Amino acid sequence: METKFFNLDDESLICQIQEGSHDAFSALVNRHSNRFYRMAYRLVSSKDDAEDIVQEAFLKLWDRPNLWNPGKGAKFTTWFYRVVINLSLDHRKKKKLMRLPEDIEFADENPDAEVLLDVHQKQAVLERFIQDLPERQQLAVNLCFYEGLSNNEAAQIIGVKVKALQSLVMRAKTTLKYNVKQYLGGGSR
Amino acid sequence: MTMNFEQFKEKLLMYGADIRCWPKDISSSALKALDSSPELKKLVEDEKRFEGVLKTRKYEEPSRDLAGRIVAASLPKKKKTQRNFGVFFSEILSEFSLSRRTFAAISVSLIFTLIIGFTIGYSNPSGYVSTEQYETHLEDFLNYEGDIL
Repeated sequence: METKFFNLDDESLICQIQEGSHDAFSALVNRHSNRFYRMAYRLVSSKDDAEDIVQEAFLKLWDRPNLWNPGKGAKFTTWFYRVVINLSLDHRKKKKLMRLPEDIEFADENPDAEVLLDVHQKQAVLERFIQDLPERQQLAVNLCFYEGLSNNEAAQIIGVKVKALQSLVMRAKTTLKYNVKQYLGGGSR
Repeated sequence: MTMNFEQFKEKLLMYGADIRCWPKDISSSALKALDSSPELKKLVEDEKRFEGVLKTRKYEEPSRDLAGRIVAASLPKKKKTQRNFGVFFSEILSEFSLSRRTFAAISVSLIFTLIIGFTIGYSNPSGYVSTEQYETHLEDFLNYEGDIL
C-alpha cells in the first residue's frame, strides 16, 4: 500500500476511493475498522457478528462510494457510525439477543450479592441492563461513555439536538445506576 | 457562576466523574463547589464507583486480521464490476511491467503476423478444395458400405 494515503484525511481518502483507488480504501479500513467494530460489538454483543457487520459496511462503501456525500457537511466517521449502527440494529432485530434465564437470583437484599455473582454473571447482568434501555438511550451511552465521543458528535450520529442527547445520557445513566445499585451494589441513585 | 447540588448532580451524570473533562466554562465553578462540599465529594465518589462498574462490561477484541480480511473481501467484488477489455489489457501491462512503447511494438508486430498469416492462408493453392472433389467425397461417404458400428 502506498504510504501517501496514511497522511490523507478521511474525506480525501473517500474522494480517492470514489475514483477507484483500492489503496485508499485499504488505508481507510486499516484506520477505522477497530473503532467501528467496537461500536458494532456494543450493539450485538458478539465478536463474529460485529466483524461481519463492519465488513459489510466497508464493502458497501467500496461498492458504492458515492453514498457518502461531502456536500452534506457530515464528517466521514459521523456518517459511517450511522451506517454501522443501522446494520447492527437490523442484525439485532433479525437475531434475537440471548436473554438471561429468568431464574437468575438477584440478591437485592443480600449484602453478599457481589460475592455470589461471579464476573461473568455480573457482566451478563450489566449487559442485560444496557440492552433493556430504550434504543436511543443505549446509543447515547455507547457513543458518549464507551466510545468517548463528544456530545456534539454523538448527537449528530443519533440525529438529535445536543440537549436531547444530554437528556438521553442522563436518563440512561439514572436507570442503569438504579439497577446496578439494586443488583450489583455499585453506587447509589 | 456558583453551582448548587442539583445542578452539580445533573452535570455529573451528563459529563462523568472526571470533572477536569467537563466543558471549560463549568469545570472551574464545579471544582470550587466540590472543594467546599463533602456532600458533593460523596456524590463524585459514588459516580466513580458506578463508572467502574460500567467499565466491567464484557468486550472482546476483534481478530488481528480484521482489516486485512475486509480489504481482501473487497478485491474480487471490484474486479467483477470492472472486467472489460481496457482493464484487462492494463492489468496485463502492469503485470509484466512493460512500458507503453514496448507494448505498442508487441501489438504492431502481432497485427503484422496476423496479416501475413491471412495473406498466406488465402493464397495457398494446396489448401483449395474444388466443388467437384467435395461432391465426390460426399458421394463416397453416402455410399459407404463398410462396418457398421
